[in-house]
Amino acid sequence: MKGAALKLVMVGKQFKGKTGRLEALRDINLEIAEGEFVTIVGPSGCGKSTLLNIVAGLEEPTTGWVEVDGHRVHKPGPDRIVVFQDGAVFPWLDVRQNIQFGLRVAGVPREEREARVDEYLKMVQLEKFPHARMHELSGGMRQRVALARALVLKPRVLLMDEPFASLDVQTREEMQSVVQDLWLRSGTTTLFVTHDVREAAVLGGRIIVMSQRPGTVSAALTNSAPRPRTLEDPTVLEQIRRSNEILKAEVQWSNESKAPL
Amino acid sequence: MIVVAVAFVGVWELVFRLGIWPPFLFPGPGAVANSLYDLWKDQVLLRAIARTLTRLGVGFLISLVLGSILAFLMVHFATFGKGIQPYVLGLQTFPSIAWVPLSLIWFGFSEAALLFVTIVGSLFSVTVSFADALRTVPPVYLKAARNMGSDGMDLILRVTVPAALPHLISAMKVGWSFAWRSLIGAEIIFASVGLGFLVSQGGEDPKLFPQVMGTMIVILGIGVLVDRVLFSRIYEWASRRRGLIPSR
Repeated sequence: MKGAALKLVMVGKQFKGKTGRLEALRDINLEIAEGEFVTIVGPSGCGKSTLLNIVAGLEEPTTGWVEVDGHRVHKPGPDRIVVFQDGAVFPWLDVRQNIQFGLRVAGVPREEREARVDEYLKMVQLEKFPHARMHELSGGMRQRVALARALVLKPRVLLMDEPFASLDVQTREEMQSVVQDLWLRSGTTTLFVTHDVREAAVLGGRIIVMSQRPGTVSAALTNSAPRPRTLEDPTVLEQIRRSNEILKAEVQWSNESKAPL
Repeated sequence: MIVVAVAFVGVWELVFRLGIWPPFLFPGPGAVANSLYDLWKDQVLLRAIARTLTRLGVGFLISLVLGSILAFLMVHFATFGKGIQPYVLGLQTFPSIAWVPLSLIWFGFSEAALLFVTIVGSLFSVTVSFADALRTVPPVYLKAARNMGSDGMDLILRVTVPAALPHLISAMKVGWSFAWRSLIGAEIIFASVGLGFLVSQGGEDPKLFPQVMGTMIVILGIGVLVDRVLFSRIYEWASRRRGLIPSR
């Protein structure tokens, strides 16, 4: 695959704990093409969030490296924006100010800033609440703010770290279709981490299934069925079934290998 | 609030009229009001208030600046923070009056000496409570902001300070009361102008005894005013914006 937007090469991560070294990730190789939507699914504690933090430059890998457009990354940058689980929207700012945050840091002139904020406010359908404060919004609306705040910076790669994990089922499904819509419109290369197999299957053009600690890539499934897709699409159902099989085998294998202890 | 003040004056007048103590030891509200009026008429009171509040403003401001730097260093460099924490806590409880002799040795009977006592009397309280306030900032905010390109001073001003604002305001409120107590204490001991001086002056001449109580009331009044009007309002404003307390 030539000209990958994002490339992970032999990425590994070890943490120094009180009981010695803890290996969170081992030899992760992954290439994501321009405009691709890749989901990573795995059991909790498989290091998938750590992987995302490494791509974001918020953590250093112990081994290997990450490339964006062929350049290695070492620190956080607005070319790789993360949408966090609880959104991490800022409660001291209103909706507009939140979306503007990155643009202000980058010193984008006022007029351009305002225009872009307007555009993205509409895109996430929050144009009616530009001055609402975060505590006045529902969980789903807060994640819309977080999405707009990320996309307005036009990142090379959008990184999403279980962004809908704390939402109720209905809102989660609604947000999944919002994300799909936004992706169809913007074509932003996206890496989406989740522990929800259904979410991974409905969103991912490619689904990376990860093993338990130390996290490695167990399998990669491709789903090129047309979008927007729903959870009822046959290809999606098939992916859910296969991902679950792989995950189950993973868990069994890892339990058996640990049993003699 | 007003009811309590009126009731207090009423009880005071009543006790005064019972005549348990001679009037020069226990003046009634009338005598105290008279003495305050005299001080007011001669502009002594106003000048004293102005001078004391100026000292307080300057001293507290310096203490806020130094305290925020220290607090930031303590939070940012955790090892340094842990090492210095017990001393800062100890110095916070250290009676500010105990700094007076040292201050006089270093600065003589001067404004600088008064400022020094005000600053050291409040600095450590400001530091401890600012550090606590900074520690309440959820790390994910800092992560998100760094991710969007904010760093260094930009990060502090754009995220750390606004994120901790309600706590920082409560911290300032606590720090202010330390500065106020330290300054009045120091003024009572060695100032020649100011509210503390009016208290100590009143104590030296039996004819001026009502001035002691009068000035004490003024000191109390300023304390209540700053707390209720200034800090409480700012705190409410900052908290309401965040939804930490319900909107009216």
